[in-house]
Amino acid sequence: MGLWIEILRSSILAAIPIALASLGGAFTYYTDVFNVALEGMMLVGAFLAVIGSYFTGSWAMGLLVGALGGLVIGIIFALFAVYMGADHFVTGMALNMFAVGGTTFTLRRLFGIKGALVSSRIVGIPSWNIPLLSKIPVLREVISGHPFAVYIALLLIALSHYLLFRTKWGLRLRAVGEDAQVLDSLGVSSRRIKTLSILGSGILCGFGGAFLSLGYVALFAEGMTSGRGWIALSVINVSRGRPWGLLLVSLVFGFFEGLGMSLQGMGLAPQFPQMIPYIITIVAVYVYSRRERRVKAA
Amino acid sequence: MHSDFIQMRSIVKVFQPATVALDGVSVDINQGEIHSVIGENGAGKSTLMKVLYGMVAPDSGEIYFKGQKVNFSSPRDAVKAGIGMIHQELMLIPSYTIWENVVLGAEPANRLGRLESKEARAQVQALVDEYDLGLSIDERVADVSVGARQKVEILKLLYRDIDTLIMDEPTAVLTPQEIRELFRWVSQAKAAGRTIIFISHKLAEVLEISDRITVMRRGKTITTVENKGLDKSFLARAMVGRDVVFSVSKPPQEPGQTILAAENLHYTDADGQKKLDGVSLKVRRGEIVGLAGVEGNGQFELVQALVGLIQPQQGSIKLKGQEIVPLPISKRRELMSYVPQDRKSWGSAQPLSLQENVIMTHHMTNTALQGRLRWMLSRRKTRQLANTIKEEFEVVVPNIDVPFFALSGGNQQRAIVGREFMLDNDLVILDQPTRGLDVASIEYIQERTLQKRADGQGILLISTDLDELFSLSDRILVMYRGQIVADLRPEETSPEEIGEYMLLGAKGGDNE
Repeated sequence: MGLWIEILRSSILAAIPIALASLGGAFTYYTDVFNVALEGMMLVGAFLAVIGSYFTGSWAMGLLVGALGGLVIGIIFALFAVYMGADHFVTGMALNMFAVGGTTFTLRRLFGIKGALVSSRIVGIPSWNIPLLSKIPVLREVISGHPFAVYIALLLIALSHYLLFRTKWGLRLRAVGEDAQVLDSLGVSSRRIKTLSILGSGILCGFGGAFLSLGYVALFAEGMTSGRGWIALSVINVSRGRPWGLLLVSLVFGFFEGLGMSLQGMGLAPQFPQMIPYIITIVAVYVYSRRERRVKAA
Repeated sequence: MHSDFIQMRSIVKVFQPATVALDGVSVDINQGEIHSVIGENGAGKSTLMKVLYGMVAPDSGEIYFKGQKVNFSSPRDAVKAGIGMIHQELMLIPSYTIWENVVLGAEPANRLGRLESKEARAQVQALVDEYDLGLSIDERVADVSVGARQKVEILKLLYRDIDTLIMDEPTAVLTPQEIRELFRWVSQAKAAGRTIIFISHKLAEVLEISDRITVMRRGKTITTVENKGLDKSFLARAMVGRDVVFSVSKPPQEPGQTILAAENLHYTDADGQKKLDGVSLKVRRGEIVGLAGVEGNGQFELVQALVGLIQPQQGSIKLKGQEIVPLPISKRRELMSYVPQDRKSWGSAQPLSLQENVIMTHHMTNTALQGRLRWMLSRRKTRQLANTIKEEFEVVVPNIDVPFFALSGGNQQRAIVGREFMLDNDLVILDQPTRGLDVASIEYIQERTLQKRADGQGILLISTDLDELFSLSDRILVMYRGQIVADLRPEETSPEEIGEYMLLGAKGGDNE
């Protein structure tokens, strides 16, 4: 029992960064921007969040600076991909490499350390007990008492769903992905909408990265996103960008990541459990494409 | 009626590197008139209208609207001034419902941006009722006919309270009945005081509805005339710059033995839609079989099944007695010539040279092109073939090494038709062979097609242009919802009758 609760708790924690990044990617998914820079946006977010927290001593500033970091990557991406007409994939890959190199370099120059920055000056995101939920037995042990950003993430998912499917902005945004010319012919700039969607994805990925470095733990390790941006990309595809759907898919990924961590604690060689989320990604994409093909063949 | 409603003065537009689309064009549009702008493809009609609509910035020239000099830098400005445009390719989001498409970009919403869908639906429904458009506003655009989609475009303009309406070739994809309905609506709009600019190259239509007509040729305005006592040949001469033969002559000819026999073809696509529902047809030697139908009724799938791009789930296709369903495309192409409807992405490889494009398929089937080694092509022989096609089919290019995309649409199509006709197969499938071409190229391709018929080859001609079907075909088949619902001789039927079959699948609505 206790073990299962532990696994479920850790799956939520592991799911949130992926959910946030894929939520960001959902916006670009709908505007038909091939956003492979999710990984880089997350990494910069994770790094700057730790830096922000380290120097100001405030987790809130950390979150803010992390989100801004993602935004900056988004601005560069939009500048090249939307306004200068560069290839989305090449631009995204360049930014990913820049993120790895830039964060590692800065970490080493600034602190003179290799590997990970661990310090008591880094303030993590505090946990929060939800007043009503914390009264329900069993469930409270799974859901309540998480870093407070978990609840913000859920709120953001609800807000994004509303924005995408209930507002005029959502109507326009989804139309851009289907046929940008239609909007241009109506006098609505599709470029602007594409740019905004990229900036939005930057902020959300930066936030997701910040959660990774300040939510679970309070440290930054080189390349600590370790492919979560790519997992997010497949989450978006499997859930077709539906906000609640991608939360669900993220939770599945989170579950396997959590399972992996718990298995590590049980003395299994750590490399095996670490593989699990990536194997699941391959399986998920495979199952998804099989389903797609079956729909097409029917 | 104000005569200084819209004035376009000396408009020049050059598309880099060196295409002069508009060469000092001046046109006046009066308020409340139906003003047609006619000209061949490439004459600059669409570009001129895009300049007026703010989609294309002119290099020089001035536009006055209601006496004021205006400078529309985007369609938004034009829409604000009350000018709307219906484009040749409809500007709709297929997965959205009709009402969502209508309000898109001008949505009723509260201060938080929440879409007031109830209010939006009510407004759109009111317009549908008022103008008697007969649309159900909750249907997805992807699920409705082309005619209905055009009405959605009209609704978009009504919703935005547009009083000047530019329509770019609105009748190109409509059946005669739908055209009638469109014209009824256009006259109604004129009666309500709206100004309509109608772009077309179909002379009969232009003569029927216009108050005044402006003729354009090669980026210049040739003349603007009142529509009084004009006839087709006058307009055609102004448009083309020479006399035009309106109907190609088709000598009577008895068809020979059957070349193509398709039996009971069934095909259901990936979305579960039945596209071919028991199609059988025959094409005989020395016969042109025309295939009509509203787009999306299975003509496309039928051609794909014949060529081998899709596998029918049931049925047989016999070519000269041989069953070809199990054959791969490359084997089938040794037996049939095929001009696809999409010249750019299916009919050619745009970045490659003319030479490379015209030897395609020949390079697989024609062993005479081999070099000393069997698996190599002889450079000399392929160039020879390419030059022959260029000469024979009057492709106007400096040499055969120019990239294909540098050719005009008419020249591209001549090259593709030339390639396919040179294969010299007994069956020729022509899918929209003259769509979007200039008059001279249309005439030319139609004549070559009749030549093929005289040579005793069998031709299947798919076309949305009923005039073309009537002047070329020996029989006209009509497809409706995946079935062939009519098989008529052109001299015994009329475009109206064909139109009824296209729309209803039966004559006069009596479903047999």
